[in-house]
Amino acid sequence: MNFQANLPVVYDSTRRGSVIFEELREILNYRHLIWQLVRRDILTRYKRSFLGVAWTMLNPLGMMLVWTIAFSQIFKSNDLPAYPAFVLNGLLAWTFFSQTTTAAMVNLVWGGGLLNRIYIPRVSFAVAAMGTGIVNLGLSLIPLFIVMFATGLTIHLSIIFVPVSILVLVAFSLGVGLLLSTLAVYFPDISEMYQIVLLAWMFLTPVMYPETILPDAYRFYITNLNPLYHIMKLFRIPLYYGRFPTPAEFLIPLGIASVVVVVGWIVFARKSDEFAYRI
Amino acid sequence: MAENSPNLAVRQNIVELSDVSVEYRVPQERIGTFKEYAIRMLQGKIKHRTFKALNGVNLEVKQGEIFGLIGPNGAGKSTLLKLVSRVIRPSHGRVVVRGNVAPLLEIGAGFHPELTGRENVFLNGAMLGFSRQEMEDKFPRIVDFAELGDFIEAPIRTYSSGMLARLGFAVATDSQPDILIVDEILSVGDEAFQHKSYERILSIKAQGATILLVSHSMGMIESMCQRAAWLDHGQIMSMGPSKEVIDRYLGRVSEEENRQLIEDSHHETITKDRDYKAVEIRQVKILNSQNNEQQVFHTGESMAVQIEYQANESIDSLEVGIAINRSDGVHITGPNTTYSGLDIKVRSGPGGVVYTVPSLPLMEGMYQISVALVNRQGNKMLDLQDKLYVFRINNRGHHVRERYGLMTLGGEWRFM
Repeated sequence: MNFQANLPVVYDSTRRGSVIFEELREILNYRHLIWQLVRRDILTRYKRSFLGVAWTMLNPLGMMLVWTIAFSQIFKSNDLPAYPAFVLNGLLAWTFFSQTTTAAMVNLVWGGGLLNRIYIPRVSFAVAAMGTGIVNLGLSLIPLFIVMFATGLTIHLSIIFVPVSILVLVAFSLGVGLLLSTLAVYFPDISEMYQIVLLAWMFLTPVMYPETILPDAYRFYITNLNPLYHIMKLFRIPLYYGRFPTPAEFLIPLGIASVVVVVGWIVFARKSDEFAYRI
Repeated sequence: MAENSPNLAVRQNIVELSDVSVEYRVPQERIGTFKEYAIRMLQGKIKHRTFKALNGVNLEVKQGEIFGLIGPNGAGKSTLLKLVSRVIRPSHGRVVVRGNVAPLLEIGAGFHPELTGRENVFLNGAMLGFSRQEMEDKFPRIVDFAELGDFIEAPIRTYSSGMLARLGFAVATDSQPDILIVDEILSVGDEAFQHKSYERILSIKAQGATILLVSHSMGMIESMCQRAAWLDHGQIMSMGPSKEVIDRYLGRVSEEENRQLIEDSHHETITKDRDYKAVEIRQVKILNSQNNEQQVFHTGESMAVQIEYQANESIDSLEVGIAINRSDGVHITGPNTTYSGLDIKVRSGPGGVVYTVPSLPLMEGMYQISVALVNRQGNKMLDLQDKLYVFRINNRGHHVRERYGLMTLGGEWRFM
């Protein structure tokens, strides 16, 4: 046995720096874990189903059909051309937001109590939920392109802007997911409440309808007070509308998403030391 | 295993806890819903109680030693391990760790039932902080150690609990950590695998790792650890060479047990039924050689059972008998006054007899004493207290030449 004379300090509870940056550094060290968690989520979700991962694409298509049939009498084709593509485009962003925020919260609180057994960065679950969402969103872009083609829309050069839109959507969802996770650790009821909030939020966001059909009195509130409106629009512009966003259309959602993700991260990181006792 | 290491003092501390406290702030009442919380908060009615899981703990573990932690449940042993493995942070004080830690806290934590063994190995490895490339290298060794064969490609929901334990242990211990944290490890799997995991821990130790071991098995702590600490209510009660710490701890446990048993037996005597009896048992005491009440003995110690009775009538041929059973029901012996040639004639009033065992031949365990009063004329039972009195044999800290079975026959070995 050889014993080193000077052992390096690997961990010192007092020499810590900011929790906020520590989580950031650790999540980079554990990037392999994130990949494994994403892989696990995708593999297990469809493991026992016959069509498997194809459901990632079939699911939004089915939803789109239901909404198109339900709304086909309300919007005549000249009001809103290629309505199925409009709905599907909105649904993809909405599904990403609702699924990833729910998953971030549920995986943390009901994740098998992993956090109080071994050390892993506490943001792992939320970040992995975003990863899973990105994979699902990427796959479901394929049916969107098919529907756009079938409804006579053309895919423009603006498609190169889609990754930026997705990044803004991810940042916003991560921020909301982290805030929700923090709350849900203290109040498990939040996850039930959130499902109701989501339903209301979906109707208050122009997912199925264009904001132009809203009466002027309400339109003001929805377009100004609902942050998701701007983020969803940023995702629709390069695809359904086939153009690049104006500086305002880009900077407003970018600003909102940046604030939300920074606030969410700080709140989560500052409370994260308590999680191991609470879960 | 406990080796002499004269150079222990010069080795560096690999784990250092300085004045470490861990406090949880828990609401005095459980508030589960947001609504309730909001109402209470507005009313200013949320009161918190501070619970100290650890309180001012100082601990230094030297590089390369096996350090044991003992104490009752809830003493703070797991909290201490979690501090070292970074799962929780101290509220006060400082924790310094000079090496990478492999926690064997909960084997197989994070396994997913729908994934195959292979997929779970990679997932579990990632949770322990290993990269994909590192896991690729480890994978064949892990499968080999876990003895899973082709099962590695099957979903682990099809595994037996033994297979799961083997896989979890194999993943967690494949690399050579600087510090291995072991919480009641060797209770997993079958005997052959327990032996194998024991060997693996020893080989990790042989390569210079430091081991923190929590166990309720004093035998394991004594045989594996050079030093140990006894924790109780979040504080270190004693720390030093493992044998001394264990003796102090078990001394306290015996005292507590003794006190508890005496309290219980007095309680029983008072609350027993008060029907009219011709002769009734008034008090039964289990005494040591100094005539003091005692309920924990060691093999070879002398013991006396003192029985006091109260006669309400005159009886010419009273018989006092006792029965001793082991707690699992095995009947050890049933001595009575008649067989011993003691004639008891009672007139109204108190009386008593003592049954003395010069040297208890019984081995470790719990024993129960029943006491009966019988009128030999007509063979009539006058009073019975069934298995009401309890004593315990505990040989820790005493030199006893035998260890297994029910009793010692006092036999001796010699060369023929």
